[in-house]
Amino acid sequence: MNTPFLKRLWQGFERTRVGRSIFRVGLPQSNLERSQAMVSSFLLHVQPAKVNRHSLRASYSLGLGLVSLYLFLILIGTGVLLMFYYVPSTERAYNVMKDLQFVVSAGLVLRNMHRWAAHLMVLFVVLHLCRVYYTGAYKRPREFNWVIGVGLFLLTLGLSFTGYLLPWDQLAFWAITVGTSIAGYAPVLGPKLKYLLLGGNVVGQEALIRFYALHVIVLPAVAGLAVAVHLWRVRKDGGLSRPDEPADLVQQVELSQLPVNKTYGLMELARGRTPQVDQNPEDQVFSWPHLVFRELLLFLLVTAMVLFLAIFWNAPLEELANPIHPPNPAKAPWYFLGLQELVSYSAFWGGVVVPGLLVLALVLLPYLDRGRRGVGRWFARERAVANSVFSLCLLVAVVLTLIGSLFRGPNWGWVEPWKSTPAITEEH
Amino acid sequence: MNDGSVRKFYGWFTVLGLLVGLLVVVGYYRDEYREWKDYQRRYVQEEERRASTPQQRAQAALIPIQVRQILLPDLNRVDRCTTCHLTVDDPSYGGYPQPLAYHPLHEQHPFEKFGCTICHRGQGRATTVADAHGNVAHWDEPMLPLRYIQASCGQCHQAADNPGAPELAHGQAVFEERGCRGCHKLGGVGGVIGPELDRVGARRSPDWLKQHFLAPATVTPGSAMPPQKFSESDLEAITLFMLSLTGEGAPGYYASMKVIPSAGEGQRLFQQKGCIGCHSIGNQGGKIGPALDNVGLRRSPEWMIQHFRDPQTVSPGSVMPRFGFTETEARALTDFLLHLRDQKVALSLPSLMGPVERGREVFRKYGCAGCHGQDGKGGVPNPNAKTAQQVPGLTYVADGYTKDELKARILKGQHEIPALDANRPPPPLYMPGWRAAIKDAELDDLVAYLVSLKPKGEDAGF
Repeated sequence: MNTPFLKRLWQGFERTRVGRSIFRVGLPQSNLERSQAMVSSFLLHVQPAKVNRHSLRASYSLGLGLVSLYLFLILIGTGVLLMFYYVPSTERAYNVMKDLQFVVSAGLVLRNMHRWAAHLMVLFVVLHLCRVYYTGAYKRPREFNWVIGVGLFLLTLGLSFTGYLLPWDQLAFWAITVGTSIAGYAPVLGPKLKYLLLGGNVVGQEALIRFYALHVIVLPAVAGLAVAVHLWRVRKDGGLSRPDEPADLVQQVELSQLPVNKTYGLMELARGRTPQVDQNPEDQVFSWPHLVFRELLLFLLVTAMVLFLAIFWNAPLEELANPIHPPNPAKAPWYFLGLQELVSYSAFWGGVVVPGLLVLALVLLPYLDRGRRGVGRWFARERAVANSVFSLCLLVAVVLTLIGSLFRGPNWGWVEPWKSTPAITEEH
Repeated sequence: MNDGSVRKFYGWFTVLGLLVGLLVVVGYYRDEYREWKDYQRRYVQEEERRASTPQQRAQAALIPIQVRQILLPDLNRVDRCTTCHLTVDDPSYGGYPQPLAYHPLHEQHPFEKFGCTICHRGQGRATTVADAHGNVAHWDEPMLPLRYIQASCGQCHQAADNPGAPELAHGQAVFEERGCRGCHKLGGVGGVIGPELDRVGARRSPDWLKQHFLAPATVTPGSAMPPQKFSESDLEAITLFMLSLTGEGAPGYYASMKVIPSAGEGQRLFQQKGCIGCHSIGNQGGKIGPALDNVGLRRSPEWMIQHFRDPQTVSPGSVMPRFGFTETEARALTDFLLHLRDQKVALSLPSLMGPVERGREVFRKYGCAGCHGQDGKGGVPNPNAKTAQQVPGLTYVADGYTKDELKARILKGQHEIPALDANRPPPPLYMPGWRAAIKDAELDDLVAYLVSLKPKGEDAGF
């Protein structure tokens, strides 16, 4: 008997009446049970019973989408715990931050986890977007899932941005003041949008309560739903994109061409195919354990990463928000600093036209770039032009963000971060 | 099913599981260890050491290790200082070193009502030494050095009336004598050349303030303020007075308590209630009631306080009405009357002064001396001004202007000061218009004072 003790204990529990009622299948012992485990579990059934080896390759997906999902889950968990303490009031919010740090058990670690996971999520969502682009994975039939993904990217920014205000310190106040003023540069609708967002002309109690409601209910609910649809479509579109996918992957069933005096099974009407059709059985492995275990391991890794950051580095907290003492320079959150840099050249072109066109281009991309070649491979030579254009945009965005973050000092003047910053003289 | 590939997972699960577990344990211990717990254990040890009976020792061992705090909702503060400073209210710890020292003199300001940070500043919510004492980044209020602790009295109390804070009164006197108000607004009164000072004490450190008085341009490049020459004690006093200007309100409970029954407060009340209508001081005032010049010799303080409560009870048949003074007001008025033996106090009552004396007070009130010098003698530098690079003195102002011209000039001000050299920066000091601030009667008195500045006997000078 070589079975580990914990496994035996678990199996003993499974065989009881209660265990059976909960897990139905239990730890699978045969291939049949491995399939049943996937299909009968609510949490697992969004994934297929068998999965293509190519999809498991870490060097292909880098697990970036999953990491983003896990960060989202960690943010929901820590966020709900923080809600037990937080009060969205300009009088009390900052005091809550201080109490979390000084008297609440694990309060500081909790806030740190939430903060760092939020920054990481923005980062990983962007990386995930880049991965999907460079592997051409947005092409048919996955066009609309790419659009949903772009939506999730914007929702992530929105979640991070609305959360940025809640500590009600100088950093929060002025970052949101700068961020919302960028929104105000849009013609016609801009000032209205800014007013709607802030509930007034300046950041104050009304803005705080609006950002709070958006941050804890509206945006997480929409994002959660969008994530569900995003994952469901991955499954329906035949899993991750692969190089060996047949070009005519999807054949829409034309109902009008079917004889009408016939009873149809669901399989005949369903769009697309199951992952098994037309595929070499040799390329398929059971999701349990090959996919599920990898996913669990990645979750442990992400948790460890966030915990590590949260234990050893504290989330920033500056002085209490003070509307009459702006820091110089007042900076937006880091992911908007590229935008702020653009705005410093031209409010209208940098703040409205360029980002507007970029988002539009991202949304329309799968409908404009309809070539079928180079899907499922990194940096495919057939996609050299598309990849170059994207890389150039990415490079510009990264450089602008770096300039905005590191090279901008008082009055948005040029500073070199390795030199000591000139003393800021206050207006007298 | 390939068993080898599955076994590989178990290795990874073990490694990552242990890593997460380790991080949770490390996180727990870092969170559980708080430096205040060390201080509390030391306090318990000290209590055990001092215990003389086994019962006392057992009691000491039961002292809970926990955060202690004083909740001050009206002041929007929570002071956790007593988490480490556990013995502030225990006189038996007199003379102990910090953090276990006893805090004397808190009868007037009980800890449960005032906490600690309203006077000492620092960060009340914090529970580590560095954070609580406020010497950390992103905290604007480090602890006030004990040297300047009197500044905190001035947050709620009138500086001049505070017998416990003589240096604060000294600082305010320096402020008014030097005419700082000529350029700086305080409490809504003053000029507009420099910044308002209502919250300056919350923003600036003692070192910054001192440096700024002696050489303003070194800490605020381009400042228009002339360097000040102060004696060491004046410099310390005005720095302390500046530190008292924090804009900290004293709401609710605290506002009702802030009047100290001082002679100064009594004088204000005496003026405000119109006592002089019936009583006289120095032969000036009404004749209905008795003269008050020597009342302090004739009556005891207890008699006076009772008299203020209800004149009939100690002086049957008196026609003086019951004013309904509070206990504090009665004591303040009594204090003032006891001081009346001092002629200077009596003469400083505005209603007993002539226009020239009142005008001198107006000159003082609006800080004219800040630019025009003590008694209008001039001498304050104003680089690149045509008038000898100084703000002109006012001694002979009556020769050049009629009274109406003077009034017009004060009300309108003069914003463009002629420059000596057009290529250099314009003179930093200018004459603000005072129309919005000064009252008509004050203007009349001020002009009377200015005219009086000319030395006697020089009328026929030209």
